[in-house]
Amino acid sequence: MTPFKLQIITPDGVFFDGMTENVIVRTTVGDKGILAHHEPYVAAITISKFKVMIDGNYRYGAIASGVIKVSKDKTVILAQSCEWADEIDVDRAVRAKQVAEERIGHYEKTNDNKNLDIAEFKLKRALNRIEVSKMR
Amino acid sequence: MASGNMKDIKRRIKSVSSTRQITKAMELVASSKLRRAKQRSEAGRPYFEAQYELLAEIASVKKDFSTIFTEPREVKNRLFIVIAGDRGLAGGFNSNILKAVTAAHKGDANMPKIIAIGRKAVDYFDKRGYEIVAKFPYFAEKAKTADCMDIAQLAVDLFAVGEVDEVEIFYTAFVSPLVQTPEHAKLLPIANIGTGTGEDLGLINYDPSPEAVFDRVVPKFIMSMVSCAVVESFASEQGARRTAMESATDNADEMISNLSLVYNRARQEKITNEITEIVSGANALE
Repeated sequence: MTPFKLQIITPDGVFFDGMTENVIVRTTVGDKGILAHHEPYVAAITISKFKVMIDGNYRYGAIASGVIKVSKDKTVILAQSCEWADEIDVDRAVRAKQVAEERIGHYEKTNDNKNLDIAEFKLKRALNRIEVSKMR
Repeated sequence: MASGNMKDIKRRIKSVSSTRQITKAMELVASSKLRRAKQRSEAGRPYFEAQYELLAEIASVKKDFSTIFTEPREVKNRLFIVIAGDRGLAGGFNSNILKAVTAAHKGDANMPKIIAIGRKAVDYFDKRGYEIVAKFPYFAEKAKTADCMDIAQLAVDLFAVGEVDEVEIFYTAFVSPLVQTPEHAKLLPIANIGTGTGEDLGLINYDPSPEAVFDRVVPKFIMSMVSCAVVESFASEQGARRTAMESATDNADEMISNLSLVYNRARQEKITNEITEIVSGANALE
């Protein structure tokens, strides 16, 4: 497969900058695979796993909310946070899951919808990390 | 000069030296924190720039591009996100930024709502009866970008439901390690972002629509702006503190050298006096 340039940028710096043959991400409208020479395309990415093919092998990672932008010369993923499967701190994710679950219970009782949304977002992120970490 | 006076001088030298030790230590701590803060601010830059570029690109897809985040409204209520320090002893750092805030809403009918970052900002607005929407004391030093999401989301939500019509951020720009200037920038509504020419960019396929993608990116864009401002203010605070502590240390050095001069003079005078007394005593015996 023809390789193309991929950049993954997070607030903590450039996470990945190199060549890839295929990227698969989950956008708000469904899973999307990008190959070389894809048409210019922009979509938002949800909290999900993603995979990148490098030298014929897929590498898995967890992504928390972002945007993918495909242009002629390169593809850029802007992610709020991003980790490879083998770099995920599972203990931290499990702790985050417990905290988020407790908070959801609490906010449901108090009908605090705004904080409920935030807690749900955090729970989703933690669950996603736990799931992806099993794919290392 | 009497020996009691000498004791006083000695005590003063001692107290100035111990103050000097503290100011010197603070100076060193501030320089190392400054270095780290600069690294942090550089790491966040590519993300911020890529995001800005993306928003600008989406906004220029068509001439009449407009979402709730770009449409200007009649401004009744303003929201200020103010970033100050957690501690004093940083020269004019805290008072400059807080003064800029006061100056910015002079003449407004309504007091601005405040999101206060840093203990000094929290204290200042608490005391003066501002409506504080949220407080983030002791935040800047350890702030991760994800933490700034809470602030950004809060601001975006308030703006989206119409509780505020404008969001501004007050931070201290890091011009150089010696110069820091208080600045403010408008976060929402996002103005002047696209040229709206719609040339050849119209070929990009937005899924599901340019507006939908734009609105999803906005909170993250605000987040990275807040995070940049927080990191930059923190760097400025350290820079200001280093400069202030450096000059305090210099002043202490000068004071110590003046005092030792006075002390030595007094000591010599005393010895000369004693010798004169002994000599004249011996002379009287002859």
